[in-house]
Amino acid sequence: MGGGGRAVVIEDVVKTFLVRGSPLTVLDHVSLACPPGSFIALIGPSGCGKSTLLRIALGLEHVDAGRVLIGDEAPDAVRRRGEIGIAFQDPALLPWRSVTANIALPLDVLGRRGTARDRIPGLIRLVGLAGFEEALPGELSGGMRQRVAIARSLVTDPDILLMDEPFGALDLILRRQMNVELQRIWLERRPTTILVTHGIDEAVFLADRVVVLGGRPGRIVGIVDVPFPHPRPTTMFRDPAFHALTDTVSALLAGEE
Amino acid sequence: MGTGRRATALTLIGIVALWEIAGDLDLVASGALPSPSEILVAFWRDKADYWPHILATVRTAAIGFVIGNAVAILAAILFVRVPASERLARGINIAIFALPPIAIVPVLVIALPGEGARLALAALAVYFPTMTAMTVGLREIDPRVVDVVRAYGGGDGAVMRWVRLRSSLPALLGGLRVAAPNAVLGAILAEFGSGSRYGLGAYLLGSLGRADPARLWGIGLAATAIAGLGYALAALAAKRVTDASRAVTIASGAMPPAKGRGQQRIAIAVASFLLPFVVWWLLLWLGGLSPIIAKTPLGVFEYLFLPPTGASARERLLAALVETLPITVLGMAAGLAVAFLLAVLGAVRPGIVRALLPIALVTQTMPLVALTPLLVLIFGRGIAVTVAITVSVTFFPAYVTLAQGLAMVPRAAFDLVGAYGARGWTAMRLVALPASLPWLFAAARLAVPRALLGVMIAEWLATGRGLGNLLNQSRGYLDYGMIWSVALVSVLVSVALYQAAVMLERVATRR
Repeated sequence: MGGGGRAVVIEDVVKTFLVRGSPLTVLDHVSLACPPGSFIALIGPSGCGKSTLLRIALGLEHVDAGRVLIGDEAPDAVRRRGEIGIAFQDPALLPWRSVTANIALPLDVLGRRGTARDRIPGLIRLVGLAGFEEALPGELSGGMRQRVAIARSLVTDPDILLMDEPFGALDLILRRQMNVELQRIWLERRPTTILVTHGIDEAVFLADRVVVLGGRPGRIVGIVDVPFPHPRPTTMFRDPAFHALTDTVSALLAGEE
Repeated sequence: MGTGRRATALTLIGIVALWEIAGDLDLVASGALPSPSEILVAFWRDKADYWPHILATVRTAAIGFVIGNAVAILAAILFVRVPASERLARGINIAIFALPPIAIVPVLVIALPGEGARLALAALAVYFPTMTAMTVGLREIDPRVVDVVRAYGGGDGAVMRWVRLRSSLPALLGGLRVAAPNAVLGAILAEFGSGSRYGLGAYLLGSLGRADPARLWGIGLAATAIAGLGYALAALAAKRVTDASRAVTIASGAMPPAKGRGQQRIAIAVASFLLPFVVWWLLLWLGGLSPIIAKTPLGVFEYLFLPPTGASARERLLAALVETLPITVLGMAAGLAVAFLLAVLGAVRPGIVRALLPIALVTQTMPLVALTPLLVLIFGRGIAVTVAITVSVTFFPAYVTLAQGLAMVPRAAFDLVGAYGARGWTAMRLVALPASLPWLFAAARLAVPRALLGVMIAEWLATGRGLGNLLNQSRGYLDYGMIWSVALVSVLVSVALYQAAVMLERVATRR
């Protein structure tokens, strides 16, 4: 535990769903290797299976072929030890729990008592919610709720961090701010991170490697390595080299190679 | 809102004033309707008598409430954790929902000595609303939160503990709101039918022979007040909880589709039909009761078909059924018609219905056994009283269902026909009536058991015909076989009518 993540290896995964009785291939032989402590961004059109891929990495979804390894274990075992942090598109907060209690939910599920809770006040400060510790989700704005969900994903001090468009509901200013915060958190602890996103600049700003998925069926159409060293300053959003990379990703997304 | 309340208050004052005048001048059925002041005077005169009865009823209702709800909550948790168990228990659940309580009071008195029968009836009255509300509450959860729990290794147990239980609380409290007055009504019905010494039901029974309408009304209104108090307490608790936890985002959950192959599903359906009989048998066997007084399903069969007297027993049962069944259907149809008119009226002229509703609500919380003697005083002992009683117990739940259905007709549909000049009744005929048809069957489903209960109570108390009367007579003759047979037949008839309504509803909603 602690310090540095573990490798996540997705090997030749095939996933089909039954849609009105006929099978629909969502992921078609997808392989992806995430080195320990790396930051991978998954980007692709809606319905290309990127959320499904994340759920597979988490072990919440069965695969029809292929396998997922975290270190040398199946995701289920890792998950049960609370070593994976997760933030979904929707904050998915329990409406009757305060901000503090919502962040503590993973600890409750894992049955962790005592000192595990000590890091919650720090996490609340980290996501900029100091003063809202006892607020209920109904009293928060959409962006604030999403920040609660991000704090919750970090509460177990995970080795693996999986994020499914966690900033999708935030406005651009807040989104940039959260990008910077996420980079800082990641640099501090270096969990192996997979971020699913629609934002090309967000992907290039944060990730070591941007994986571009194409739709129907979902498959990897290109991988773009981002060579800029961390920590990356926000001035980078105006850097021509940065724009050259976002253009490459855009072209891959548009199917232009 | 404010003007609506004031209109309601004014209507209430007006009605009480009219009632006072009519009562003082003996305008209704030559004094059968005493004025509010006469009722209050009688209440004051009898106040020493009231307390032991009120305490006994409240006690029975409270203990029955706790037992029934505990069972309902545990059952709901089981149904959600193991979906097959819900399908297996379907027969029992429907039987409990549909059974006319009055029909099983004598049976319960035989099977459970002393206070047991009364507690059991109060508990049975509570079980169904709480169980259904809790099951829905446990099931309708945010699937995304479930993902979060699973992401940290939580299984079904963790989802139940951290998400479902707390999530079901508003629904549970909604169920308790219905269950609380039900417990009081169940307790009174049981006191009435079990010949206990104390309780408002017993007091009512003791006062029936006296020509004292003011006391009958007093008892009825006291019972109404207790039932209303139960409702208010549960509603207050529900409001406090729901205020604290509004859902932030809405996600729909649905009942898991029935799994398993055809054969397996048929097996579960058959088992679900047989289970109530097995439970009946088991309870008697565990109670170690004499087979002479406590009849098993086989005992009932023997009574009806084996001995030479079987033919005459069957004849009497059939004759009673032939009297009861048509009037049940008639009363139910009348109740639904009243509900339908009221719902349509409410959609066209909301003001009138809003003013009438409080009175309707009072008649709903007034226990049927207390209402019946009053209606007898007004309508006499013929068919009219049976229909009046049946209408008064069926129209309200049916009205609520239908009004809900009419409220869900899209505004745009009205606007469309309105654009071609249709308004008022024409718009109703073209849009609202077809749209509310499925809801009519849903309303019928709710009305079935109440209609049968109303008819049987009228027969028992007033008309001296049909199944209700046969049950009452058999109690007098200690004809145990007939008591069990009537109970069984009443429950079967109620379940059959209920299932017919369910099937019609399915056909209507499939279109």
